[in-house]
Amino acid sequence: MIHLFFWCFTIISLVPFILIFMVSISSEDSILQKGFSLFPNEISFEAYKFLFNDFSEIARAYGVTIIATLIGTVVSLLITALFAYPLSRPSLPFRRTLSFYIFFTMLFGGGLAPWYITYVNMLGIKNTIFSMIIPNLLLSAFNVLLMRSFFSTTIPETVIESATIDGASEITIFFKIVVPLSLPIMATIGLFNTLAYWNDWYNCMLFIDKPDLYNIQYLMTKTLTNIQYLLMKSNSSAQVGELLAKMPRESVRMALAIVGVAPLLFAYPFFQKYYISGITSGAVKG
Amino acid sequence: MKKAFHLLFVIMLCGILVLTGCGKGDSNKSANPGDTSGNKTEAGNKEGASALSPYKITMVYPAGAAKDLQLVQDEMSKYLTEKINATIELKPIEWASWDDKTNLMKVSNEPFDLMFTASWFSYAKDVAKGQYMELDDLMAEYGKDIPGVLGDDFIKGARISGKLYALPTKKEFGQGFGFLLDKKLEDKYGFDINGVKSLEDMEVMFQTIKEKEPGVIPIVSRKFTNIWEAANYDGIVANLSIPRGSTEIKAIDTLEDPKFIDFYKRMHQWSQNGWFDKDILTSDSDQGMNMIKAGKAFAVAQSLKPGKDKEMSINAGVELVQVETAEPFTTTGDAQGAMLGISRTSKDPARAMMFLNMLYTDPVLLNMLDWGIEGKHYVKVSDNVIDYPEGVNADTEGYPNPGGWMFGNQFNSYLWVNEDPGKWEEFQKFNDRSERSIALGFSFDQEPVKSEMASIENVKKEFEDTLRSGAVEPEQLIEKWKAKRKSAGFDRVKAEVDKQLAEWAATQK
Repeated sequence: MIHLFFWCFTIISLVPFILIFMVSISSEDSILQKGFSLFPNEISFEAYKFLFNDFSEIARAYGVTIIATLIGTVVSLLITALFAYPLSRPSLPFRRTLSFYIFFTMLFGGGLAPWYITYVNMLGIKNTIFSMIIPNLLLSAFNVLLMRSFFSTTIPETVIESATIDGASEITIFFKIVVPLSLPIMATIGLFNTLAYWNDWYNCMLFIDKPDLYNIQYLMTKTLTNIQYLLMKSNSSAQVGELLAKMPRESVRMALAIVGVAPLLFAYPFFQKYYISGITSGAVKG
Repeated sequence: MKKAFHLLFVIMLCGILVLTGCGKGDSNKSANPGDTSGNKTEAGNKEGASALSPYKITMVYPAGAAKDLQLVQDEMSKYLTEKINATIELKPIEWASWDDKTNLMKVSNEPFDLMFTASWFSYAKDVAKGQYMELDDLMAEYGKDIPGVLGDDFIKGARISGKLYALPTKKEFGQGFGFLLDKKLEDKYGFDINGVKSLEDMEVMFQTIKEKEPGVIPIVSRKFTNIWEAANYDGIVANLSIPRGSTEIKAIDTLEDPKFIDFYKRMHQWSQNGWFDKDILTSDSDQGMNMIKAGKAFAVAQSLKPGKDKEMSINAGVELVQVETAEPFTTTGDAQGAMLGISRTSKDPARAMMFLNMLYTDPVLLNMLDWGIEGKHYVKVSDNVIDYPEGVNADTEGYPNPGGWMFGNQFNSYLWVNEDPGKWEEFQKFNDRSERSIALGFSFDQEPVKSEMASIENVKKEFEDTLRSGAVEPEQLIEKWKAKRKSAGFDRVKAEVDKQLAEWAATQK
């Protein structure tokens, strides 16, 4: 019975996605006539043809997204872990102050303008791939605190002590013992980061002017938001109507959404297998 | 020890705060290396570009980034180097990111020369912040041909408190109000669409469609009501407007104007007749176009200019005709509808002005910017008529037009084969016959009544959509609206408008 409920729930959750797919393979005329429907009465792959007619743009955007996601996820995981681990150790001096320091950044941001100036004028990462890796995403205070709590609650001090007695250095302990014991949290935060990087379009919007460096999410977002923006402004300028008429059609927008989201579906199963409970049981003799 | 650390920590934090606070004004390292540093041009003579040192002009405007942008940019740079020894960097910014991006560019003192601006793009606000340079002197020296091309009215309309901060595009100068109709149905019933029609004439058509074409909606979207307002009132702020044809510079409240109330009674009647679509609250003309395409609707209302029906027909892929219900009307908002300003961060404003001068006078340069490279992005059919090259169509073109209405003199822009060859003459006629508002050139500075404006806007949001959709009896609604607006501080705003108008009127004598 309960299974049945969850099956239904899953199917209902999938409906919007299926709808998008169906609209993307409907012909434009049938959308205009009948509106969106789950069962396209006229199948046409025009939208995909239109997209793939110049696939280089999409392929490049994919490349950018994948590179940024890979580098970003790995580096940010490493930095987060290296930061969180010492904070979890009671022997670290000033650990409370340092933790507060991190927490403080969650409460008070510098605001958009100084933030932007820092990256553009001081670090000069405008129009580089780094602008999609560093700002906002590389080190999230929340993730550091999350990981710290995990380390301090799941990894018994005694395990680390015994390793030290066996002559392991701090670095060995971290990589050989702490990381393998923390796979669940690593997978969780890894997935968070992957999602964040994959779905990030805001940084791309702010820092990138060159179309070669657009990422796939921005490519999609800009198509949709351009339309919204122009609709919003349509009262103020007579020109907007013409611009709108040139915008991509409904089915193309949907096809773009499908093309953009597909790879992410494969990322989930990959992380899935690490969601196993910790294996600390038995490591400590009670 | 611990205390000491805390103290240090606090000092550090303060230090960081102070640094970020002060760091805004200076440290303007250019974000793009390879920028030629500020070489002021001494030579004002335009004989031979060699007298000028090389300079790169950067132009920022809203448009999608075209695939062949670089090619077009190189071609333009080649041409400009010959003429004014300058190269150009085109910086199109997507519409959706325009606000965010340009605001940050302005805040971070990014160096650029020219930027697109308009009354609906925070022109007045940016001028108040000192983002744009004053252009009168520059124009007198390096842009001598511009006043001749634009004419006095255009330039007058672009001024803010008597000073010029941006140059308008020479395009349609005013808004006509009317409807775009589905040509198929119009032919079928033989409606007469010549000359200017009253709204009553339109009603006859809608009634016919309603009766004889079940399943076809006579008119889609209520969004045209503000176009109607724009065609009849020079709106200043918060329903304070100068009625069209007014002979004195004095604002009235449209909510008390009989003409305005009658119009909305009419809309209410239309709604009662079932002439509108069912999504009236949210539908827009874009949807209307799609419905016409699908054969489910007859008309949408639009602000019109000559050849608008042809343009929209090409874009939307359905035959349309236009019917005017009002002669065109020109307000400050129209005059400031599309302009280019020179940024205060420009390293060589003189050169930017020379470039602007070329946009108004040099068809070769303008058409490169508008249409790309001849032979690659378009082919010439005759002197000023162009078409797609062999094997290229709208889906595969490498340089879609960024918007000819944004740059210089649109009348120098080539026409497409399927456009009316006399389009620009029609535009000229349209501009000449467009009625100028008596307050052309007046722009209201909202700063003194900013807080009242915010609450009045909120009140407006609450009532406006309902009123515009014709869903309820307008008179009671307007009464409620007025009461609420009064408590939001309407009287103060009105006093401020009157004051500023009187001041402006004094300078016009």
